[in-house]
Formats: sequence, structure tokens, C-alpha cells
Amino acid sequence: METDQEDDELVAVLPIHLTNALALNVQLHQFPLLNRPLQVPPSAKLSGKRISGRIKPDIRRLELHVPTDTRSEVWNSDKARNLGAAQIDDDIEKKQERQKPGEGEEPRLNEIRLQNERIPQRGAQMLGVMRNGKLNLHPIGETHQFRPTLTYLDILSRRDRRSRLGGSDSETDDGPPPDPEEPPPVDVPKRDKKAPGPGKEIQVSAGRADDKGSVSTLGGLSAVRRDMLRAIRAEEDEEWCSLHFFDTLTDESATVFETMFSRSTDVLTTNDDITLFLRDIRGL
Amino acid sequence: MPETPSGSSTPKGIGNFVKKQSEVTRQGTQKLKFTPTLPARRKKDEVKPEPTPQAVPETSTAAARGRGRGRGAADGGAGSGRGRGRGAPPPVEMTASGPFAMGPTLAGNQTRRPAPRADFTPAVPTASSSSVALGQNLTRTTAPTLKGLDKGKAKVKEEEEEVYSDPDEGVEIIDMNNIGHMDWMAPESLREERKQEKVKIDSDVADTRNALDLSESEGEEELEDLIEDFAAKNDLDTDSTLREDRLYFFQFPAPFPKFTNPTSDLHHTAAPAELVAPQMQAESSTKRVSFAPDTKQPTTPSSSRPSTAPPSELPKEEPIDGVIGQLEVYKSGAVKIRLANGILFDVSAATQPSFLQQVVHLDMENKHLTVLGEVNKQFVASPDIDSLLNGMERKDAVGPTFEGEEDLIKMGIA
Repeated sequence: METDQEDDELVAVLPIHLTNALALNVQLHQFPLLNRPLQVPPSAKLSGKRISGRIKPDIRRLELHVPTDTRSEVWNSDKARNLGAAQIDDDIEKKQERQKPGEGEEPRLNEIRLQNERIPQRGAQMLGVMRNGKLNLHPIGETHQFRPTLTYLDILSRRDRRSRLGGSDSETDDGPPPDPEEPPPVDVPKRDKKAPGPGKEIQVSAGRADDKGSVSTLGGLSAVRRDMLRAIRAEEDEEWCSLHFFDTLTDESATVFETMFSRSTDVLTTNDDITLFLRDIRGL
Repeated sequence: MPETPSGSSTPKGIGNFVKKQSEVTRQGTQKLKFTPTLPARRKKDEVKPEPTPQAVPETSTAAARGRGRGRGAADGGAGSGRGRGRGAPPPVEMTASGPFAMGPTLAGNQTRRPAPRADFTPAVPTASSSSVALGQNLTRTTAPTLKGLDKGKAKVKEEEEEVYSDPDEGVEIIDMNNIGHMDWMAPESLREERKQEKVKIDSDVADTRNALDLSESEGEEELEDLIEDFAAKNDLDTDSTLREDRLYFFQFPAPFPKFTNPTSDLHHTAAPAELVAPQMQAESSTKRVSFAPDTKQPTTPSSSRPSTAPPSELPKEEPIDGVIGQLEVYKSGAVKIRLANGILFDVSAATQPSFLQQVVHLDMENKHLTVLGEVNKQFVASPDIDSLLNGMERKDAVGPTFEGEEDLIKMGIA
């Protein structure tokens, strides 16, 4: 450390309080693709739409539905209608039908669905709130990242592909032969940019990559893959439960927020000292 | 831009840009003509004799078309969507942009802004189905931004506002930095790079100019902010309804020391009968997680855990509430956290994410998801190395503190 540490004078000392009143139910939600607060757009708020959500309790899969701004200046309603229909089909496919739209009501895509993924935590994460000259810490249980689910696009692309190939429903990775109109498959940039050659090469390499993961193949599926499929199927089979979403401006939020603050001024003790951190450093 | 008057037909050759424009002849060897898909050059004749753009146009449509062309962005491929002018929708046209659009004679007459940036007029697609001009229904409110990121933008606003020439009717000049104010859904503009001041360094530093400049202004901002974040304890109002409390995210090294309530120590000796998690007692002696019978059982967390399979990595914790240490802010901007037993951390600002981060409380019982707020800033606490080394020394001086240490090889700290 530098020598001027002794000359460094204290400007402020704040006590730190720790509480885990809400225990591990405090989560950090990250929205990597969003750089504005999670709000209902004013136009949608006028029509009564709110942020809602649903949850699969066992696997802890959350989905947030955020209404979108459907003004004509910023929204293409024709496309929304197509995508809305695709979304309804997608829901039915995944056995997640919501209430069917009322008779006469067109299916419209008017919300963004954000699905979560749990992120492993690095270190001990705490939430700190400054209040009244004190820093209140509360441990954060889990960290989740939310991203929009666009699975309805699969249905649309499947429809397009079906119509283009005239009925042959190809769901394999091979894909149709290189079509100059179609955008090239993603693998193409990885190879040299020669014209029709990569098409065939990709098919072969894709097949090879598939077999790479299989250790013991029983009926073509490796154990790892079977577990993954099982997990996916279990997730799809589970039912959604609706979730009530409370924004920061609600009373509920204020109440819960207050419980996060420490109420006592007892000094807590610990038996650990600073060498505790050496224990978890791998390789030390 | 070639100044040849347009011939009857424009050959579609892609030009050799090296040659001088004066060498272009009218026919035949017009190989170096820049040929967009549409004959924009044809209209140059109208534009050239036109007086400076600030002059009040006599005929509205022609002048508007002319000016719009001069200022519009000349995208190579995107010209097809843009129509200019108010009334008579001109056909799809390519435009030239920048200060050289009108040719050299008019460049000096215009009161152009210092940095030649292509002005961005909102595309008024009169050819589209909607007869309402775009921009009518924009909310003209500022798009919402995240709390932590306001500072950078505020600094940009302090810089001098660009001065533009007066707009014509029907054409609105918009500064790219102010797009965020136009509508609720407006995208974020990129922050301007304030490299102008930094470039004027003396020649000594010229070599490092190309190197990554880590000492940008953002570094200085952060240092001051640490003091601001913590030392500004003189809050003006304690109006809890406004919830002006700022949420900070701290990352401590794992594992965080276990703290216990002083009251629970008294009851620790008596074996509590209703231990809900008996497996906790198998922990090593340094971690004492026990349920004192008189501490209030937290209703929400324990009952929310289903009896079937609580996740093994989330052990139930004794409710703790109290002071664990202090946060010290030094004049130099250093911030340290001092906990019991000589645990000392250095606090520094972490990389701030540009996306939204919310802290929520998930109540599985009632299926409530409550947003507690947005995280304003992130901090990283790292153990102070000096005290860590001192602690290690002390530990070595003391005897073995955990079993099996005798079998381990001791790395000497001479």
C-alpha cells in the first residue's frame, strides 16, 4: 500500500447493518437487453395494461409479460397480427394455452415475454441501501437474467419453409439446399466464403458435431442428451401459475422494502477472520 | 461531386474516383461518374442557381425539395424510402449530404456547424399510406433512462448546443443527441466522444495517443462518486414515500463471514428441540448455524421452502439483524469496510452495467413478485492485502486450528 495511507484522513464513518429478514428470497434480476426501466408505456397504461407474470414453481422459471407500445409511429400492427397468431400457436404447441382470445378478437402481439435464466453467483452478493447515514446490507439469494422469448418465430419460419419447399417439412439441421434468396445459414461465415461448396460441407460437419457429444449411444441418444431432453420435457409439462407483479410504486413494494432494513443495533459477532477467504480460493 | 450537367442518359459505370472531375466530358468517357440508381444529378441544375439555403424560398415545393436534398443523408441503398418536401411527393431520390453538397461556391456561404455531421431530417414518407406526417404523434417526452446512467448524459448537455440554420416549414431539424427527448420509445443516442481536448497533448505523449486511454474522464468521475455515494449522509428529506434510498450492489469475496446474534449464544448450549434442519449441526465448529428457540422463525422463507426438496445449496439461515462493522470513507476517495476480527475490505466501483438491474423479492407462497428498486451502482469489496497477510502470519504463529493440518505441508512465510 502507498505510504500516504497514514496521511489519509477519515471523512466519514458509517455503520454497516446486516440483516437477512427476507432471507434468500431477494433476487437480482438483470435485463441485459434493456436499457430503460421496466415500465408500462404510457399509451398502454391508459388502456389498462399492466406488467404481469407467470411462474413454474418447481423449476423456478419466471416469465414476465411487459406490454408494448402499440402506437402506429413505433409499432407495425400488421406484423403484430401475424406474430400474435404465431404466438398463440406456439403456446398451444407447448401446452401452455392461455385464455383463448374472445370471439372476434384478433390475436395480437402486444406484450414482450421475458424469461429468466439463473446465473451463478460470483462471490457473496449483497444489496446495500444507504439510509440515515447507515449502510444496510442484505444478502442476495439468486441472480437471474431475463431475455425475451421469441419462440413464436420458429413457427413462422417453419411455416415459411414449409410453404417454400412445397410440403416437405424438413426439421433436420441440413436445411434446404443453398437458396440464393434465403439468408445463408449461420455456419457459412465460419468457413471460407465460397459459393455452393460450404452448403454441402456444413451438412457433413454438422452431423459430425452431433455425434461428438455422445459417449454411449443407445438408440442414437447419449445419456447427457437424454437428461437434457428429460429436463426440457419436464419443464414443458409443468403448469404455469400466474404471478402478481408489484412495481416500485406500490404499497406492497414499500412494505417489503422496509422489512429489509435492520432494526436492531446489536453488534453481531463472528468467529471468522480475514483468512477465511483463502479457504475458497482454488489452487491455494 | 461531379458537376457535369446531366446528359440525356447516364451511363451506369462505376467510376474511378481518383481522376479529377474536370476531366469528365459530357459523353463517352464519363466513366468516373458516381452513379446512384436515380438521376440525382439531373436536379443539380436546379440547385446550383438557387441562392443560399437560408434565403426564403419563393416557391415552396421546389426550394424545400432542394434544401431537403442538400441536407438529407445520402445513403447508398436507403434512398428509396425517403421522400422530401411537404406537398408534392417527389419520387424517390438520392441526395447528397454534408457541406459539399451544394458545390464549392455555396460551401462558404452556409453557416454550417463546425463538425460536419449529416443532418438528420425525419423522413416524411408521404408515399406511405398514412397521410399523417410522421412526428405528429410523438409524445415529445423524454424516453425513460436508468438512474445510474444519467451522469454521462448530463455532461454532454452542458456542452455548447449546436447551432443550425433555420428550418424550413415542414422540416424539423433534430440533433442526434436529442433524439431521446422526442418520444417515449426513442432510442438512446450514443454518447459523444469528447476526444477533442485530449488530442491536444504535447508531442511527448503523442505515442501514447493511440494507446488505450484508460485515464479517461470516467475514471475521475468514479472516484468522486464513491465519496458522494457514501458520505452524503445529510439527506435533505426523509420522505420514505419517495424512496430516494439508493440501492447499491456489493460483491464480497466468498464466503462471507457468518455473523451471529449475541443473544443466540446464550441459548446455543441448550439443544433446541424444534430444529428444523438437523443437518446444519454437522457443520464444522467455526460455522455455528443454530436455531435459538426464542428467535422469531421467519415465516416467509421457511414456509416457502416446500417440504419435498429444498435446494441443498440454500441452507436455512438464522435471522440476523445488527451491526457488523463500519464503512470508512477517506479523503483520498478510498472506501474501506471494516468488520469484526480485523476483516478489512477495500471497496471500489465495479464495472457499471448499461442494462437494467432490479432487485426483487419473490414470495413463492403468495406468488408475489415485488420490485424493490433499481440497482444504481455496483461495488466490489476485496480483502485488504496487508491485513490478509498479517492475518496469515498470525495464524501460522498460533497452533493448528483445524484438524488434519499437521498432515498438510506448510508453505513457509519466512
